[in-house]
Amino acid sequence: MTEPDRSESRLAALAGLVRLGVKAPTPLALDRGFASLRARLANGSHEPRFRLRVLALAAWLLACLGGGALFAARRHGLARSPAPVAVSRVEGGAILEGGYLAEVGRAGVRLYFNEGSQFALMPGARGRLRSVTPEGARLALDHGSASFRITPNLDRRWWVEAGPFVVSVKGTRFSVRWDPTVEEFVVRLTQGKVVVSGPIVGDEFVLRPGQNLEVNLSKHESVIREDAEETPPGVAVTASAPVPSASAAPVPEPAASAPSVRASAAPPTAPARRWREAVAGGQWDRILSDVERDGVDQSLRTLSNEELFELADAARYRRRPDLARAALLAERERFPSSSRAVDALFLLGRVEELEARPRAAIERYDGYLALAPHGTYAAEALGRKLILVEETAGRDAASRVAEEYLSRFPSGSYADAARALSRAR
Amino acid sequence: MSNPARPSLALVVAGTRREVSDAELARALVEKDTWAAAEAWHRFAPMVLTTAERALGSKSDAEDLAQEVFVRVLRNVMTLRHPASLRSFVYSITIRTLKSELRYRRVKAWLSFGPTETLAELDHSTPDLEARELLQKFYAMLDRLSARDRLAFVLRRVECMTVEEIAAAMELSPSTVKRSLAHASARLARWIESAPAVAELLDGRLGGRGA
Repeated sequence: MTEPDRSESRLAALAGLVRLGVKAPTPLALDRGFASLRARLANGSHEPRFRLRVLALAAWLLACLGGGALFAARRHGLARSPAPVAVSRVEGGAILEGGYLAEVGRAGVRLYFNEGSQFALMPGARGRLRSVTPEGARLALDHGSASFRITPNLDRRWWVEAGPFVVSVKGTRFSVRWDPTVEEFVVRLTQGKVVVSGPIVGDEFVLRPGQNLEVNLSKHESVIREDAEETPPGVAVTASAPVPSASAAPVPEPAASAPSVRASAAPPTAPARRWREAVAGGQWDRILSDVERDGVDQSLRTLSNEELFELADAARYRRRPDLARAALLAERERFPSSSRAVDALFLLGRVEELEARPRAAIERYDGYLALAPHGTYAAEALGRKLILVEETAGRDAASRVAEEYLSRFPSGSYADAARALSRAR
Repeated sequence: MSNPARPSLALVVAGTRREVSDAELARALVEKDTWAAAEAWHRFAPMVLTTAERALGSKSDAEDLAQEVFVRVLRNVMTLRHPASLRSFVYSITIRTLKSELRYRRVKAWLSFGPTETLAELDHSTPDLEARELLQKFYAMLDRLSARDRLAFVLRRVECMTVEEIAAAMELSPSTVKRSLAHASARLARWIESAPAVAELLDGRLGGRGA
């Protein structure tokens, strides 16, 4: 192939990618867009934005031209090449091999970047610094809550992965919560703009300041809420389930002690339901105190299938692996034919990891994968196994797991790690 | 058995789309009929949004631009000489607005000592991270082109318009469009060649044909 042909093919391929990447707007998006247009027309803001921009730019230019510093700065290339992004400080923990953030104490882990961005893992949350490039970083939230303050910079790009969701970011402040046990994903945007992609929310969703996105995979539900007092019709959206009738209240900060939107909107409920909400709202201590009040043994014998699962969640999040293991084993023993009993195997693996018992964890993950090769946690189980095998048996053994992972989950959260291992083989 | 005295029934749904021609819609817009703006939006916004998103590389910027386009359409519709050409009228305003936006971005980038902002948000229909990376880099390259070259390139390569159509939409001569296209293609090809990661990914996608 000649050089012009190759260039032509490349440009055609890129144009094709752009064409494929843009889809026609959905009826819902059109309705939202028209509502915005109508609001703009009703407000009398008919003046084209671009004309105002030109005026503003002209005024700015006049001010700057007087100094003459602008031209000098450009000629000398000042501020054109910002320093590459790098981690400058870690508080409350350490970065382990593979980018895992290990919490020391119970105050969470904070990462500070040299250009001012911050990433805070809330207490009990698990996350990874997957990669740092000169242009930004890729962070992964395995479970729990995290908040982000990304310094605006046009050159940079940040990504946050949480389960199957990806949040792409420029300069902004937002928080993310991902709970794999209830498959709930929440993004709360305080400032700036982020783009979320993943299941149910569909191909992408652009979140604007004051908007909260809540996705519950198990219920196949997504809700977008506005912080504004007056929520225009059509802003609360569900993918396939009705919007809860709760008022459009802001989602509280993840892991905060305040109840979640659903918790605040829900009527007084039975213990099981209340616990589920407590788990979603990060009120682990409430669950643990309930169990301690009633007696652990008694609770393990009498709690329902769901309650045992919720107790295990609370215990894991509060770093009580003994209690979490007991609850999960009770789940398996008392409800052996339930789907939760299979899920409990995966979570037992997580508990073993909490206690730094990687071989036991691998056994649990293998058990889960054997029983549920296409289960909810299959990708996560294989991904965790990949990491643990590398830790315990070395890269050669891990590369075999990596190949299996890539063949089954080529776009999974652990795909980058798996590719790195496969290449190194 | 039907009852002859029974009136015929028709399902009436509030707010349904009007079955009107573009010319009738244009006249209704001029008359400021209440339904006309909604009908115009639902009829033409998909075209505006898609073109804008492809040219800008950002869904949210495309949404903002569509708002701007329709404000201009509603304000200037009385200047439309041939009501039947309402679609072309909307499209030409879209192209002009896009050009303004791209020029504004370049001026803003120049004033802020940095490259223009492209938050490439498209291509979320696929979990293909490599494709996303490619698009990111491609839009960064497009940001380096002049507004005219970029728009001409996108209209030709992505929107698959003819040179004559582009010339009409951009109010340029066909020879100017051809020059812009050649200039844009040459510069992009050079930049891709000098970015091994991009070239490699692209060649990989082309099945090694470029190797």
